[in-house]
Order: sequence, then C-alpha cells, then structure tokens
Amino acid sequence: MKASAGAVAGTMLANQLTSALAQTQAPAALEGQDLANLEKGLQQVLGKGFKDMTVSQQVKLVAPTIAESGANVPVEIEASLPADQVKAIHCFSDKNANPLLFTVILNGVLPYYATRVRVAETAPVRAIVETKDGKFLMASQSVRVTVGGCG
Amino acid sequence: MPINLLVRFSPAKPKAGEEVRIQIVAQHAMEPGTRRDASGKVIPADHITELNVLMDNQLIAQVKPGPGTSANPLFAFKMKASKAGQIKVTCKDLTGQTGEKTADLTLA
Repeated sequence: MKASAGAVAGTMLANQLTSALAQTQAPAALEGQDLANLEKGLQQVLGKGFKDMTVSQQVKLVAPTIAESGANVPVEIEASLPADQVKAIHCFSDKNANPLLFTVILNGVLPYYATRVRVAETAPVRAIVETKDGKFLMASQSVRVTVGGCG
Repeated sequence: MPINLLVRFSPAKPKAGEEVRIQIVAQHAMEPGTRRDASGKVIPADHITELNVLMDNQLIAQVKPGPGTSANPLFAFKMKASKAGQIKVTCKDLTGQTGEKTADLTLA
C-alpha cells in the first residue's frame, strides 16, 4: 500500500517536472528579455512578430554569457544550411533603444557572419536567419553585461 | 576624411575550393546617438549605415549596421575560394562620408 502510494506520488512528481520543463522550453525565458521592445523592432524591420520566429538548431549563435564590456561584444552567427537558401541574417538585442543590431544580405558568401556589437544592458541577443522560402529561424542567447555599451 | 578600411584574408592564400574568411575592419567611432559628453549633451549619432562587399564588381554581401555596432567594427564573412579575383569594399556613414578599399584574392 505504502509502496504504491509512493509510486503514484512519484509519477505525479514526474508529470509535474515534465510539464514544468515543457513550460520553460516553450517561451524560452531568458535573463533580461523584453519582448515588447523586441516586438517593436521586429515589426519595424521584418514586418513580422516574435511568434513568427521558429527556434531552430540549424542556427548557431556564439556570444559570451558574460561580456567584459557592453560596448564590444563579439557575436558569431553560422547556419547549417546550403548557402543558396539563406537570404539574410538579422541580429537583435531586446533592451537596446534600437533593438536592431545589424542586417546582412548574403549573395554568394557562406551563411556565416562575425562582428562586434553594443549591448545596452543584460539581455538576450537574437540571431535570425531569413531563408529564401520566407522562414525565420532564430537562436537566442542571454548576454550578461556589467558595463553598458550604449550610454 | 574618408573612412579607413582594412581587408584581410585568412588563410592569406587559400587553395582552390577552400573556405576563406574575409575580415574587414573599419576605423570609425560608430556613435550610437545615445551617449552623452561631459557636459551632458547627447552626442549625435554617426555610424556606418551600409557596407558593400563586391567580388569582381558583383555584390556578394551587404551589411546594414544599426546604431548597436561597436566602435572600429569588424565584419567577417566566409566564402568558397573558387577563383582568384578582386574584392572591393565600400561603405557609407550617416554624415555622408564614404570609404573604399580593394584587395586581391589570390589562390595558392
């Protein structure tokens, strides 16, 4: 009796855990995210909202988790897609006054881009790869900033 | 004063078919327009708005940096080195200054 009750409690706990896990995975709550500001930038630049973005493993974003200086954060974006399928790479940061960091239109080079950006305060950096068939693939990573780069 | 650009290839002389990294550095303060000087006045925005990379006069990549790009920014691309050619980089900033630089890509 006791053992079965334990088993039931165990499965309940497991269910709770998996649902909690699913919840954290679905909206991908990142440190310092500001979807309202990001949405504004996305609508302005792409004419699409945050819900139109597909989180994809095919996009690799390399950025430091803790930046030495917000004025100079190295960002590297690479997509594991054929070069002729990628149209453009966009990069956004949630809390910057102007969320758009840069747009790169690729026309013959490999889907790779590296640069250094300013991040105003601790917020996720989002790499968005626009494909020729109109899909937006996204990868995000939170960057912790101690010294802001825009003020 | 025109914008000074530096172009480098890595590896410097790629083999045919090898991936080559094109690294471009622009010497520019990239004022985002949100910074204030000592007296508290906003420093007006002045950043590069467009950078074009051409190979044999054909546009292969175009960058449109927003204000959130660092001072003296790096722009790095990768391409397959299929043939030798001339890489030309042109850029333009908010105050209308331009920069231009050409570099020859040679195969080993």
